[in-house]
Amino acid sequence: MNRVPRITTELNLIIPGKQKDVRTTEQVDKVFHIIALVICYALIIFAACIVIFPFLYMILGSFMQEDELIAGAFIPSQGNLWENIAYNYTETLSRFNYFKYVGNTLVVGLSTTCLCLIITIVSAYAFARLKFRGRDTLFTIFLGTMMIPGEMMVISNYTTMSNLGLIGNNQQDWQAFVVMILPFIASVFYIYLLRQNFKQIPNELYLAAKVDGKSDWDYLWKVMVPLAKPTLITIFILSLIGSWNAYVWPKLVVNDSNNWLISVAIRGEALALEDPNGVMITQYSWQMCATVLTVVPLLLLFIIFRKYIMSGTGRAGIKG
Amino acid sequence: MEEKNNWKAWLYLAPVLILMAIFTFFPLINTFVISFMKDYNATTGANSGFTFDNYGVVLGLTERIQGSGVLDTTFVAWGKPSALTNTLLITFVTVPISVVLALFISILLNNIKFMKSFFQTIFFMPYVTNIIAVGMVFAIIFSGSGVFNKIFGLTTSWVSPGSSWGNSMFVLCLYIIWTALPYKILIFSSGLQGIDKQYYQAAKIDGSSKVKTAFKITIPLLSPQILYITITSFIGAFKEYNAVIGLFNRNYTSNGNVPDLYTVVFYIYDKISAGASRMQYAAAAAVILFVIIMLFTIVQMQVSKKKVHY
Amino acid sequence: MEIRLVGLTKEFPGDPKRNIPDTVAVDKLSITIKDGELLGLLGPSGCGKSTTLYMLAGLSEPTGGEIWFDDEDVTHLAPEKRGIGLVFQNYALYPHMTVYKNIAFPLTNLKVEENEKSFACIEYKTIIDILKDPLKVKNIILGSAVEEKGNKFLSFIKSKMSKKGGYIHRNHADDENYEADKDEQNTSVENELIVKKAYAVNDLCEEYKISKYVAEKLFKLNFQSMTEEEVTANTEIIVNEYTDKLEDEIEKIEAKGNDVNDKYEIVRNGIVNKINRRMTKDEIDACVREAARLVQIQDYLDRKPSELSGGQQQRVAIARALVKKPRVLLLDEPLSNLDARLRIQTREEIRRIQQRTKITTVFVTHDQEEAMSICDDIVLMEHGKQKQMNHPQDVYRDPDCLFVAKFLGNPPINVFEGTVQNNAIFIGKDKVFTSKKTLKDGPIYVGIRPEGFLLDKEAPEEEKTLTLNCSEVVTMGRDLSLICSSPYLVGERIKIIIDSDIDAKIGDIKFAVRPTKIYAFDHNTQERIYL
Repeated sequence: MNRVPRITTELNLIIPGKQKDVRTTEQVDKVFHIIALVICYALIIFAACIVIFPFLYMILGSFMQEDELIAGAFIPSQGNLWENIAYNYTETLSRFNYFKYVGNTLVVGLSTTCLCLIITIVSAYAFARLKFRGRDTLFTIFLGTMMIPGEMMVISNYTTMSNLGLIGNNQQDWQAFVVMILPFIASVFYIYLLRQNFKQIPNELYLAAKVDGKSDWDYLWKVMVPLAKPTLITIFILSLIGSWNAYVWPKLVVNDSNNWLISVAIRGEALALEDPNGVMITQYSWQMCATVLTVVPLLLLFIIFRKYIMSGTGRAGIKG
Repeated sequence: MEEKNNWKAWLYLAPVLILMAIFTFFPLINTFVISFMKDYNATTGANSGFTFDNYGVVLGLTERIQGSGVLDTTFVAWGKPSALTNTLLITFVTVPISVVLALFISILLNNIKFMKSFFQTIFFMPYVTNIIAVGMVFAIIFSGSGVFNKIFGLTTSWVSPGSSWGNSMFVLCLYIIWTALPYKILIFSSGLQGIDKQYYQAAKIDGSSKVKTAFKITIPLLSPQILYITITSFIGAFKEYNAVIGLFNRNYTSNGNVPDLYTVVFYIYDKISAGASRMQYAAAAAVILFVIIMLFTIVQMQVSKKKVHY
Repeated sequence: MEIRLVGLTKEFPGDPKRNIPDTVAVDKLSITIKDGELLGLLGPSGCGKSTTLYMLAGLSEPTGGEIWFDDEDVTHLAPEKRGIGLVFQNYALYPHMTVYKNIAFPLTNLKVEENEKSFACIEYKTIIDILKDPLKVKNIILGSAVEEKGNKFLSFIKSKMSKKGGYIHRNHADDENYEADKDEQNTSVENELIVKKAYAVNDLCEEYKISKYVAEKLFKLNFQSMTEEEVTANTEIIVNEYTDKLEDEIEKIEAKGNDVNDKYEIVRNGIVNKINRRMTKDEIDACVREAARLVQIQDYLDRKPSELSGGQQQRVAIARALVKKPRVLLLDEPLSNLDARLRIQTREEIRRIQQRTKITTVFVTHDQEEAMSICDDIVLMEHGKQKQMNHPQDVYRDPDCLFVAKFLGNPPINVFEGTVQNNAIFIGKDKVFTSKKTLKDGPIYVGIRPEGFLLDKEAPEEEKTLTLNCSEVVTMGRDLSLICSSPYLVGERIKIIIDSDIDAKIGDIKFAVRPTKIYAFDHNTQERIYL
């Protein structure tokens, strides 16, 4: 039989680029490595500039004079910079009841957050440590509700609140706040986060506490809560940010503009100047100031508590 | 021990269960029911019977009642900008772009050491800010004589009253991508950190170039996160609302007459604020929204079975 | 390929703020590894053996010294350019790829330098030659059928799929040799013979040593569902087809001004063309299968790593390292993740593979038994320094220092506090050895291997000079193990291995010491004193 050429494995395999001698290959490698790194940084810096641009512009815009801003300048004129800034901010603050809105938001925010924390702690504990029939099924149902768009609930919640007489033309202040707080005290997302953290605390501590005669309640508040502090801080901050940025529900349910939260307020009134013809012209530089006042506190909060915020949001992704 | 735990556990869960029952489970059913009611009156709860009409009106099959809604918004009108078509456009444009961008940036970030956390902080900033407030900043940037036009030497009218629908949608998509990037970058970055360094070492010894490693090793190993992000992004993009409010303020129309720059959720809220007699349309629209989201998610999970490696 | 380490050093800078001192992980290591040798780097945790291995691989930059592969200085060369294969301790198999793809992955980055061939011609010729015996093809495919629970409806559908080369359903009735019981015939739907494409292709590959793509083409010819006459008839047509294709190919080549020689290499003016090209799918397939056969994993090519056992995963890792025919194979503690029984089996396999491929191999381990049993040479390391390097048996017999003596050998060597007086070694008052050399008087460490004790009838009375108190006699089947104590012992207890035929009782026993099993070490430097 003929010798048939078959696919042979006797191949002379070479590494691409290895034809040159070793020294040159080393140097070429080093050069490529550096070029790659430079390109990496260049791209990242470019992207970062785009991302951060609106923030910069917002701050700079609040420093500008109105006509400058409309003309599309990027850097405020140096001329009377400090007077400008002072003027802008004082005008804004005089027309925009900033501190009142901040106060409203803090009241709602802190109440929601504290109540939420209590409920979350208690519920997460039940799901993480206590054994009872239907625990896993119930938790899966809870998780399922996270998928449902909030819009489905808004309608009915509005009606419910309305039927309770909390919304309406004669809405009292305290009623407004109750309506804004109540629906958001129970959050499956935070319960999920805390439950994950609770689960990581070793069971042996629980058994040891039981042997020591501690009740479940004691164990929860004296052992688990301190151990879960990082997550609790994360929940606290995320919840606070959530209240600060809340728009839809507060706008819907609150009539009196005095009770508005800050996000609603910023969209509520136009900060305008009356011009010679009696027409109110919106002053965008003042809008910028208002925006700065709204956004910068959050940014500061973020920079200080960066670790907690990023780790908490990141952990949610592991669910998959 | 088990028995004792049983009633205690329910005691612990009582508050959350009550709240969930009132504010989540009941509304779910209620909304569903309302969507089938004829002449529903939200304040009184009265209705005159079961009907499919609400869905008909919403889907444009039945005659629209004029003047419904504060802004006379339409849910779906094929061929014209309407809530559903706008939303579909937004979703299918912003989600792929933002996922790819986020993936790209995350992989780049994974490669550098110096100032890595500084950049991560910067990329995450849009997440904590108020979408509505910053929307106005965007509007100013893209205004007729604003910075954007200045940089590129254009005079297009992007979002001011009277700008074309296309221009406005362009800016809207840009804004949504800007707000959507941080979360994705965060998830991808933490996913990338979880990949064992040994895989990269093995790939290096196997002679794989950086680019090849990224496509053949890194991205497949990141597929669980990619799946999660795709699903949540779709859902999020479909529910987009704040960006519209933030960017367009009170001007939701491009040609000054009929509003055409709004999304599905916007439609729902519009019908709610229309007063007590329009709630059923909002309910119907909400149910439709829910169904669409469910469908998308199921399809994506089916696709994922083949492509995602755990 | 010879490897030379010259003064290789790796230092990790410390952090003065956190009180972490500078660590020297590898300290001026100089070793020469001969071509084709299996070398073991042996030592306790933290001795620098893994660090050395990673520097050999190029994954870690040395802070000093040089590494030479033959006459190339590869000290700073990138790992992928060194031509090495590395098996990680945790295998590092890509979890999202099948075993086949895992092994094939290195090949996708390599190029082949060779005579330019016409692959189309080769393929056609191969098929023509195989089809000289078409019935054999049919039999191989049918022979690969597996029994499966049948289902009339499903098998109907599947047999329709056979047109595309999918499943083939085949009744026992077609098989002349099959004898059915009366019972079985009634339940003939229960178990059917089903020809599955994947198995058939695999069998064809093994039989003819062809690639999977050519095998698939053969499968698609559908001989398996034809009768013998049909097969012969079809074969003629197909062979003619391919012969025509072959002639067309050759014409195309000649049209470009080249010629084809009988190996189907492209020749111009009598000289064969040489080119650098990527590997073809066929070649990759062949190499992958060859590597898989080498490690006996060829039946698992379509599985994912998570579906394999630890031992199988390790074999895949070895295959992946070897498939690119590297000059050096590096293994990082390959056996530490396996259970005891598998360890012995696998280390034999590693030895077998190494002998067959003759690739210079370095492997890192902390298990002295492993190293001793399969390595040609071992290097013992402690604190980054090389303590001794030699053949295993030589290192065992002739340790250079106390560390080496204690590290090798199971049970470990027994160490006593001893003294030298008048050229004789004493343990306490017992003289255990007389030396012909002149020795300095003073305290020393005396090491006696467990097998170095003679008692009872094994030695004459006057030689039994060492008295030890035996507290336990442990039977281990072939041997007896005596647990003894002595006031001069450095350590917890003395373990002595003796033949099980000897009668030993608890209490004081007098021993003689085998002169070849006793070692003396300097008390300060712990270096060996040669007697």
